[in-house]
Amino acid sequence: MKRYVTDDIIYALATAWAQSALAVIRVSGEGCRKLLSTRFSRPKALLEAPNATLVHGYLCDEGGKAIDEVVAAVYTEGHGYTKEESVEFTCHGSLAVIKELLALFNRLGMRSAEGGEFTFRAFLHGRLDLTQAEAVQELVSSQSQRSRSLALGRLEGSLRSLISDMKEQLLGIVASVEVQLDYAEDELDEFVFPRSKLVDLIKQIKDLSDTYQIGRLYRSGARIVLAGSTNAGKSSLFNLLLKQERSIVSPVRGTTRDYIEADLDIHGIPVRLYDTAGLRESNDAIESEGIRRTERLIGQADLVVYLVDSTELGHVPEEDERTLVVYNKSDLVKPPKGRMAISAQTGEGVGALLTEIAKRLAKGSVSTGDEQVVIESERQHALLENAAQALQRSLVLVDQDIPLDITAVELGEALQNLGELTGEVTPADILQKIFSGFCVGK
Amino acid sequence: MDYDAIVVGGGHAGIEASLALSRIGFSTLLITQNLDTIGKLSCNPAIGGLSKGNLVREVDALGGEMAHLIDHSMIQYRILNRRRGPAVQAPRAQADKFTYARLAKETLEAQHNLALFMDTVVDILIDDHNRLVGVVTERRHTITCKVMVLTTGTFMEGRIFIGEYDASNGRLDEPAAIGLGSALRKKGFPVGRLKTGTPARVRRSSLDFDQMEIQDGEETMMPFSFDYDSIQRPALPCYITWTNENTHQIIRQNIHRSPLYGGKIVGKGPRYCPSIEDKVVRFPDRERHQIFVEPEGVGTEEMYLNGISSSLPEEVQHAFIHSIAGLEHAQIMRPAYAVEYDFIDPQALFPSLESKLVENLFIAGQTNGTSGYEEAACQGLMAGINASQKLKGEKPLVLSRNEAYTGVLIDDLVTMGTQEPYRMFTSRAEYRLNLRHDSCDQRLTAKGFSVGLQKQEALDRLKDKLAKMDAVKDLLRARRLEEKSALQALRMPEVTIADFLERMPELKAYEEPILYQVELDVKYEGYINRQERQISRFEKLESLLIDENLDYDAIEGLSAEGKEKLKKVRPLSVGQATRINGVRNSDIAVLIVHLDRGGRHGR
Ligand SMILES: Cc1cc2nc3c(=O)[nH]c(=O)nc-3n(C[C@H](O)[C@H](O)[C@H](O)COP(=O)(O)OP(=O)(O)OC[C@H]3O[C@@H](n4cnc5c(N)ncnc54)[C@H](O)[C@@H]3O)c2cc1C
Ligand SMILES: Nc1nc2c(ncn2[C@@H]2O[C@H](COP(=O)(O)OP(=O)(O)OP(=O)(O)O)[C@@H](O)[C@H]2O)c(=O)[nH]1
Ligand SMILES: [Mg+2]
Repeated sequence: MKRYVTDDIIYALATAWAQSALAVIRVSGEGCRKLLSTRFSRPKALLEAPNATLVHGYLCDEGGKAIDEVVAAVYTEGHGYTKEESVEFTCHGSLAVIKELLALFNRLGMRSAEGGEFTFRAFLHGRLDLTQAEAVQELVSSQSQRSRSLALGRLEGSLRSLISDMKEQLLGIVASVEVQLDYAEDELDEFVFPRSKLVDLIKQIKDLSDTYQIGRLYRSGARIVLAGSTNAGKSSLFNLLLKQERSIVSPVRGTTRDYIEADLDIHGIPVRLYDTAGLRESNDAIESEGIRRTERLIGQADLVVYLVDSTELGHVPEEDERTLVVYNKSDLVKPPKGRMAISAQTGEGVGALLTEIAKRLAKGSVSTGDEQVVIESERQHALLENAAQALQRSLVLVDQDIPLDITAVELGEALQNLGELTGEVTPADILQKIFSGFCVGK
Repeated sequence: MDYDAIVVGGGHAGIEASLALSRIGFSTLLITQNLDTIGKLSCNPAIGGLSKGNLVREVDALGGEMAHLIDHSMIQYRILNRRRGPAVQAPRAQADKFTYARLAKETLEAQHNLALFMDTVVDILIDDHNRLVGVVTERRHTITCKVMVLTTGTFMEGRIFIGEYDASNGRLDEPAAIGLGSALRKKGFPVGRLKTGTPARVRRSSLDFDQMEIQDGEETMMPFSFDYDSIQRPALPCYITWTNENTHQIIRQNIHRSPLYGGKIVGKGPRYCPSIEDKVVRFPDRERHQIFVEPEGVGTEEMYLNGISSSLPEEVQHAFIHSIAGLEHAQIMRPAYAVEYDFIDPQALFPSLESKLVENLFIAGQTNGTSGYEEAACQGLMAGINASQKLKGEKPLVLSRNEAYTGVLIDDLVTMGTQEPYRMFTSRAEYRLNLRHDSCDQRLTAKGFSVGLQKQEALDRLKDKLAKMDAVKDLLRARRLEEKSALQALRMPEVTIADFLERMPELKAYEEPILYQVELDVKYEGYINRQERQISRFEKLESLLIDENLDYDAIEGLSAEGKEKLKKVRPLSVGQATRINGVRNSDIAVLIVHLDRGGRHGR
């Protein structure tokens, strides 16, 4: 029951999980400045900064290598959002950087915050007045929904069975140790620590944890290519989605010559969006090269959004897993019934389009071919890492012949971490495992 | 008012409860069915064991009696699991069961303020405010009191089973206590049935020890009690033999004659202590099961067959016992049997062990769904202490999960209840590194003193012990062995303090328990520190107190199940609430928010 304890240090990404110019990571809890200063290029400046001031510097890894240039907003106790000692880092918004910083904080021994936890602390410290308590309750219940959804029941099928299988293996190892601790040596068979099982389990957990690093979707974002004939409205849609005039729009066919890319977040999924040169027969060498590039991008895309100009129906490709056909300019001409339609000018239908895109991406049309189970959340990653580290420490203890009762502490910690992913493990579960697996009791 | 306090039942719980109440200064009456069975070891003639040995020493540190009784009746002493690590090693002793029971009765008789009376309680008296005011006995006595501790063991509506035979007994040939169970059911107590069993006793002179392995105890016996440093007792060996395929064959062929398999027994038995028929059925691949043959005392030929409790018919018992090496000609003096009895759901108790249904009624021991002498004793002691606190109008003494197995046990019972006879295990404790048996006095002696039970002498001894331990540590720190100090060398897993005695004769000036504890302290230091953070978190939630009368219906946002469970258990702290089955994280958060709104922790 870690979740409602307020004396440890928590961290979380405060901005969206997406590629962006800047990101904010929030850290809160007594002693956080001291801990952070050990990885900050100007420890003294961070430690001595008065309340509500900014400190510029670098966050570095254990080897002293800079991970990113950051600006730290420092709040002393009694101030800031949570009214706890806290630091808000503004860093570069590349997903790789964010991920590395979060991993660094985890290694420092800080805890990835639960949804709503910052607000919860703010409330407990009187930051929100009591009339806002209802809002907090709501928050808290959405938090619990999230934590419940993170428990076994809602994990995606194959991931869920993978993790519960690991938990089962660990429970087996724990039970074989606990039975040694709860029954006298002369009542039991000769005990050999199941070392190879442990080594094997550590590898499984590490492998799963590592998918977080290679999970393509979240490393570089999903690639979405806007394609279609010239003047279909690709650049118009591109600008609309980015909420800025990035790409030139004009009634002239073939306006976009080379592709333009930008990052955005679609329903929490980081996406790299490409505006491309319209597809048509062309004698212009530059335009032809542009079209070749478009074709290459289409080949690499996770999803192709193929825009059709409703005012002049030309070639309409087959829909498939990777191709979404969308009729544009719905404000001018009624598109065919039952087809996805939008207006890049008025914005009509764009909400539905985004939902459809997110649905397609989540379906796994993303990881092309590869059926690997991947870890998607920072929290899952942190819990797996902590479990693997605790098991690694227990392995060291076993190899040094340290008595079992101490090894058991590390095994217990690993079990607790896996339990947070799949539902709690209680002493009763361990005893149950002992009684069903071992013939004990005089 | 006839007495300040009445204790019902002279078993291991009742002994501690009645001594605590009378020693603290209240006029106390112990009513028990039979004065000759006070302190009887119903089952195994042994005290202690893993985590149970810790319970005994906790009882001692608080000012209880169990350690004294076993120290002066033991006939073999061992420290179990020495190699598994300091946190889980524990002392266990074979007892001379006659001496044990005689000492128990003598101690009660010698106690000022304590009266003994032989009768059976059949009902309790309650006033208009749901407060207990007295008891009614089988011989129609009505006796009044201000507080009561109920410890009925296996006797409340007890029934024993041997194959097709059954009888209304609490132990073989001892009448059950009839009437009280039904009376309590009628008053609305949540009464259920549990079951346990005991093996046969055989005659020493009929056994062939040449076919068995001999098992001796430690050379030096160390006392369970912290009150003295050494004991001198005669030591007897135990023996080990094994069942075989033939034994299992006989059991399998007759399994249908077991009252358990026939459905006659409804109460649930302990999974951790299965009967031999259970073992054979559940672990068909095992070729043999171990049996410890243990003496029941010095002046008796009875030997206890540890590991083959059974409720099969007597002729089947004969057959399978005679199939075992060394027991071929064993004369069975008492048969194995199972006993089924009433217990009261402990979720109906506060952590003080006071009933939520009837004020001034405290319940302890097997009645609360536990099994084992040590489990009974520690509850009896806590019930006695808290009944005294109630009489004094003071706050109950509730031990925390990180200071005593007793605290773990009681918290488990009142928070989660139990579905089978509850036994202590080290794995039930989150922070067992902190619950070492040798340091119980450091955690508990002062608490025993503060409730008026422990003596000033004990505090002085503790102070003296700590000073000596410091002195030994200084000696070790100062002494260099090769490039390390002796203190550092002691951290190595294979090194013991005994290895230094040759080279450091000055250590010999200190008693064995002092040296032993220094050794464990030194080996453990680093690991203990690693747990500190977790523990301080744990303590934080424990220290968020909840009023026992909190109106859960008035709190918005609790889940329906959570609300129902909270209302049933009525936890006294947020920490306790987190351990209730069915209470969700969101319920805890709502609870914390609610408490905070009430300004309970002043921010
Ligand atoms: C057959 C059997 C098998 C057992 N097996 C195991 C085992 O496998 N493992 C284990 O750990 N422990 C076992 N024990 C349990 C162990 O004996 C008990 O846990 C322990 O003795 C409980 O102590 P207690 O004080 O609660 O009750 P008890 O020692 O049973 O003492 C209760 C006392 O109260 C008296 N009494 C009861 N009701 C009344 C009344 N209404 N009025 C007056 N006096 C009353 C009884 O006469 C008795 O003296 C077994 C006991 C029995 C009988
Ligand atoms: N009425 C209406 N006009 C639109 C819509 N979408 C685009 N247009 C117009 O169509 C013309 C072409 O739009 P672009 O966005 O430049 O088209 P494109 O697909 O990028 O064209 P190329 O870059 O030339 O391939 C512009 O004049 C837009 O204003 C729409 O939904 N409704
Ligand atoms: Mg364009």
